[in-house]
Amino acid sequence: MVRPLIGLTAYAQQVKYGNNDLQAGMLPMTYVKAVHATGGRAVLITPDDPGTDVLDSLDGIMFSGGGDIDPVHWNEELHPAADIDEARDTSELMLMKAALDRDLPILGVCRGLQVMAVASGGSLHQHLPDVIGHDRHRASPGTDPLAADASAYGRHDVVTKPGSQAAALLGERLTVNSFHHQGINDPGTFTPTGWCPDDQVIEIIEDPDRYFALGVQWHPERTGDLRVFAALAEAASRRYRAGRPVLAA
Amino acid sequence: MRRPIIGITTYVEPAAWGVWQDLPTTLLPHAYVEAVTLAGGRAVLLPPDDADVDFLRTLDGLVLSGGADLDPALYGAEAEPLTVARTDRDAAELPLTRAALEADLPILGVCRGMQVLVVAAGGTLHQHLPDVLGHEKHRPAPAVYGTHAVTLTAGSRIAGLMGDDLEIDCYHHQGVADPGSLLVTGRAEDGLPEAVEDPARRFVLGVQWHPEVHRDKRLFGALVDAARP
Repeated sequence: MVRPLIGLTAYAQQVKYGNNDLQAGMLPMTYVKAVHATGGRAVLITPDDPGTDVLDSLDGIMFSGGGDIDPVHWNEELHPAADIDEARDTSELMLMKAALDRDLPILGVCRGLQVMAVASGGSLHQHLPDVIGHDRHRASPGTDPLAADASAYGRHDVVTKPGSQAAALLGERLTVNSFHHQGINDPGTFTPTGWCPDDQVIEIIEDPDRYFALGVQWHPERTGDLRVFAALAEAASRRYRAGRPVLAA
Repeated sequence: MRRPIIGITTYVEPAAWGVWQDLPTTLLPHAYVEAVTLAGGRAVLLPPDDADVDFLRTLDGLVLSGGADLDPALYGAEAEPLTVARTDRDAAELPLTRAALEADLPILGVCRGMQVLVVAAGGTLHQHLPDVLGHEKHRPAPAVYGTHAVTLTAGSRIAGLMGDDLEIDCYHHQGVADPGSLLVTGRAEDGLPEAVEDPARRFVLGVQWHPEVHRDKRLFGALVDAARP
């Protein structure tokens, strides 16, 4: 059995575990389990070692959730509510551009979708409540918004565009969890194909001309619905079987 | 030029950061990644997975990282009261190590990683060193490294790498009892094995201490050099 190798962008930050309180490369296990459950093999790419040579050994890449992207990347001043992570911005924008250049299968989750938009020349709303007048895209800190007893915050529907890859994969409508206060303003070279029907916030982007490039604003890895991870693994596997393109030295 | 890809096994622990508490997290102290980077390698982190070792094809070298105890059942012993195992890591790291040895992939084992090498080579561990040695110098106190001098076998790989600097930083409560098919090439003052090697293979080195803490280029550099295609 040969599984496609899926790189997951990871956090590098201060973390507490056991008696330890230290700087670590890390990622919630939910992402790793989502990749393994859908037929891929996960390896973590930490942002403390910028460089794109690692892409040579990957069959697909998932850009994970996390903090906000520095608006300097679309020439805006920093919003007071933004919480940026410079090391991840540098590393992930570099990896995203290189992955797009190679047409590596890409899945963007939450921040990962936003990295797709920004790396391809787009921009974000820095604080959605300023734009849509409510903060229901953000769950209460530390909660699971899809749990039976959760409040309406952090849970909403998404409608997909007929005929899109998103519609083929996810159907016309689904309910998702939501953990973000930023959102896509300009999707760059990508096409929006899913929205929150209540406020038209962009929830899905894709590029049908690429091998596989899909971004979702929610967190499927924290749910039982792993269809987008399965689609990434399938595309990565197809690309592996087709043989990796030979790159010029 | 593509740098050698060095896979590093990771911890899985309930962790806390930002708004999250006790979230199952795969993590690795930054020191390991930086040690590999400074030595010229490209680190990728390998969360535990017992399904298959198919991804070995993409690695040029392997670091078996530190962490919790191995399940004593792996070397035919009953668990003692102070043994804290992580069976998810064991289930992934033992097959990975055996396959990497089979493929003659360069391997550096650190602390728990050295113990994984030993158990994969048919050896056994002491489950709580103070019971055997009568002192706590290998783990003086929580989160405090014990510093001691190591004696290395003349002509061994580790002796060649370390030169005259023989002071090491340890933090462990288990240790090697029987090194299996590996050769003990370093010992502490109390006789405890501190380094093991397999001279028959390209690069197989285990150290009971923590060379990543000082980003020790001698050891990580040797691994990365051995891993160059």
